[in-house]
Amino acid sequence: MRYPLFIVLALIPPALIGTLVWQGRKAPPAEKVAAKPAGGDADAALRALFDLKLAAAKVKEKVTLYDEKGLFDYIDGAAPIFIERNFRRLGATEMSTPEGSDLVCDVYDMAAPENAQSIFDKEKSSQAKPVEGWPGAISGPMSFVFHDKRYYVKLTAFDAKAEAALPLVARALKEKMQ
Amino acid sequence: MSEYEEKGADLVPETRLRDTGKKAARIPEDADRRAFMRVGITSALAVGSVALGLGLRARDGHGKKKALPKLKDHRVPKVQGAVEMAIVRGPDAAANVRRAVAAVGGMERFVKKGERVVVKPNIGWNRLPEQAANTNPEVVAEVVRLVAAAGAGKVWVTDVSVNTAEQCFTRSGIEKAAKAAGAIVVRPDAPNFREVDVSGKLLKTGDVLFPFVDADRVINVPLVKQHGLSGATMAMKNWYGVLGGQRVKLHQNIHLSIVDLAAMVKPTLTILDATRILLANGPTGGSLADVKQMDTIAVGTDEVALDAFGATLLGLVPGDLGFIIEGMKAGLGTSDWRSLKTEELGG
Repeated sequence: MRYPLFIVLALIPPALIGTLVWQGRKAPPAEKVAAKPAGGDADAALRALFDLKLAAAKVKEKVTLYDEKGLFDYIDGAAPIFIERNFRRLGATEMSTPEGSDLVCDVYDMAAPENAQSIFDKEKSSQAKPVEGWPGAISGPMSFVFHDKRYYVKLTAFDAKAEAALPLVARALKEKMQ
Repeated sequence: MSEYEEKGADLVPETRLRDTGKKAARIPEDADRRAFMRVGITSALAVGSVALGLGLRARDGHGKKKALPKLKDHRVPKVQGAVEMAIVRGPDAAANVRRAVAAVGGMERFVKKGERVVVKPNIGWNRLPEQAANTNPEVVAEVVRLVAAAGAGKVWVTDVSVNTAEQCFTRSGIEKAAKAAGAIVVRPDAPNFREVDVSGKLLKTGDVLFPFVDADRVINVPLVKQHGLSGATMAMKNWYGVLGGQRVKLHQNIHLSIVDLAAMVKPTLTILDATRILLANGPTGGSLADVKQMDTIAVGTDEVALDAFGATLLGLVPGDLGFIIEGMKAGLGTSDWRSLKTEELGG
């Protein structure tokens, strides 16, 4: 009497583990992606980018880091196209100019340069203008977008003064990435 | 150096995952080793199985003693021969709203004196009106004025923002415009949610903003945007903004969860804002290069039809969008918006 019960109970954990493993399988990504670097050093490098010494704009509030799951809480349904390109972390913050104008600075760590290039190409608006002398950058009214190394950066302004600061912030970030 | 915070499941320090280094308890020397192992393992598995069962039961919202409330059916009866959908084009957004609502019978057809009404725009994003990520504030304000003029006892304007509510409600211009028009603006703070029975195919329960539980009438005021995952966000997808805290879960089967929520809310009226539409990089947007000025408002009671019309503005056909197909299957409306009695005005 005790042995059947023992066998049934003993089978539960392997069955559960098997189910979890089965459910946890992921379809292969749609595009070629590179492996993610180790978390700690990469997070520190991402954080360091925001330590900008810049007159044009300063970090206004805390920098928030988002992982895959948290990304939905920040960009909602846009998250999957990043995740399928091996997104690792997003660092996001609001900055302000000396005149009090605001801009948003989003730096996506895409784990490898080819992933950053891929998301740049995917999101590139046909209406946006290329930036002279900077092949991996575009500017649209109120925005400046570029990729460099494993990072993909989106800067968004909320008025003309902040818009004027976008190229300066972008170049400062690019320098920090070198 | 700036202050930092971290959001998400993976952001757990590795040290928490390491072995604690504690040793297992010693087995008494005089005990029968096999019997001890058998009893011990059986007991542990039994306790674990019961705990797992209770945990899963609690997670799925079952096992609760009290029944959760369901949202009311906020619809009004159809009027024989009335215009079912109005599309108005013109440079004045507020005038477009007035003309479109008048064409479907006036706000008095939908809101009676003393009724409590919730107006639900999209206030999801830390964006300016020009960036077309949120509903146009002039449109929201005009809807509030029409509802108040129809004799509503109370008008709420609310949404669950994706970005920080403070930023979204302010930068979108909606909070200021809605308050100026006479609405009570409800931000998505924790005390403002009530748990309800969704009874959907995917969603069983959810925490919704209290005005949706208390209101007699619900007016949906979405805008038209491209959306990376669902293809587009318009009327039905706007109901994501009644729920708190399930973003990841909702996106795992986005089309069905959209339909679950649309079936739960059953709005009185939908006012689709296509004053500016976001053609790419939705739902967040940001660059004005992705925005197109359309100066159009569409009004009706069939959300599927309005979404089908909105899809055409984005250069899509209704069959491209899974939630429109699922919405039709669920009996929420028709994608053949031209089959409705439609009035087109202006432009």
